[in-house]
Amino acid sequence: MSDFLDQVETCVPALRRYARALTRNADLADDLVQDCLERAISRRGLFRPTGPVRAWLFTVLLNLHRNQLRQAQRRGQPVDFDRVPEPSTPAPQPGHIALAETARAIDTLPLEQKEALLLIALEGLPYAEAAAILKIPLGTLMSRLGRARHALRLATGTPAEPHLRTVK
Amino acid sequence: MSLITRDTLMAFVDGQLDPAQIPAVQAYLAANPDAAAELALMQRQTQALQSLFDPVAAEPVPARLRARRIAAEQIQHRGRTWRWAAAAVVLLALGLGAGWFARPVFDAPSASATLIADAVNAHTVFVAENRHAVEVGGDDSAHLSSWLSNRLDTNLGMPDLSAQGFVLVGGRLLPGEPELGGRAAQLMYENTSQQRITVYVTAALPDRQQVTQLASVDNTEAFYWANARITCTVVGTLPVDQMQAVSQAVYVQLTEGDISAARYRS
Repeated sequence: MSDFLDQVETCVPALRRYARALTRNADLADDLVQDCLERAISRRGLFRPTGPVRAWLFTVLLNLHRNQLRQAQRRGQPVDFDRVPEPSTPAPQPGHIALAETARAIDTLPLEQKEALLLIALEGLPYAEAAAILKIPLGTLMSRLGRARHALRLATGTPAEPHLRTVK
Repeated sequence: MSLITRDTLMAFVDGQLDPAQIPAVQAYLAANPDAAAELALMQRQTQALQSLFDPVAAEPVPARLRARRIAAEQIQHRGRTWRWAAAAVVLLALGLGAGWFARPVFDAPSASATLIADAVNAHTVFVAENRHAVEVGGDDSAHLSSWLSNRLDTNLGMPDLSAQGFVLVGGRLLPGEPELGGRAAQLMYENTSQQRITVYVTAALPDRQQVTQLASVDNTEAFYWANARITCTVVGTLPVDQMQAVSQAVYVQLTEGDISAARYRS
């Protein structure tokens, strides 16, 4: 059991990072991670020790996040992104896509594309593991990634010379 | 080169391409600047995401997100739940037990209160009678005394209250409280103005405690005492000072033997 807790402990930084990228709010993200950990630890008896703990934790976190969004929609309380603090924007450098712009662009992605892109590009998970977490076939995962990257490209600048864009 | 698809390029960017395919992709990129630009853009997207959110993973983990702490809290919580349940069971058992053992306290008034109530009740019933006020008349006081003494299993003399203006009308045997001997004797006295008092006597209580108590119920005065031999309640509706004088006389006469007996015994 302590082995299980060790594995959970190891995943917490990644879960926080992923949750922060999903919610773009530090408190909401940590609340989400806390819910996820509490649920996972209280139900560790249901966890099959053969699978990776990390994938299971991400699955729990994503389920909680989707439920929260659904409840927020049902209650008619849309998340106010204007009140979400923007990450500080460093001075634009040639060759770098403006970070704030990327952050905003991610918020405009459909949830399923955002979930997939962040698992791969941010968390660096293997395709197979990400597909298992999202409970979708590998092909579906690849098409979601492709659409997400295309949408990001449209939102952040022309594909030809992205490094020439500057941000006011 | 038709093998190089969008998915292949993405896998290359994501570092998940089969190493055997890497040279083919590199050759393709060299030949297709547009594809190379697109790939570079994807790489920059990934870099941007990592620059934005990687610092979060480097932050110290807040205490509330420590797996061991959460596990410990859950165990504690479970323990607390158990302890509360156990405490509830224990308290319930204690309450039931205390209630059970306290029954006599709540159910039954004290012995003195019961006896006083019985004495007052008997007084009220029989002083109203004329022809049947007593079972055995006072003119046969020797018989009355031995009879009641036998029944109560104690020596009961007939107090002489002539000094207070009262003569013995007679006496009767009464049923008493089962747990307090089960029998009682009532002696009735009357003065020239037809005022009556009664003396209600039972055998000693199990505790044999020396107790004295005064009670007043609906204009009826009751003077109660108990000792190691008998309990006695003098009941009447006379003024309080007269009642006290009568009670005092009864008390002195009925306890006289006890005092002398005590004297001899020591």
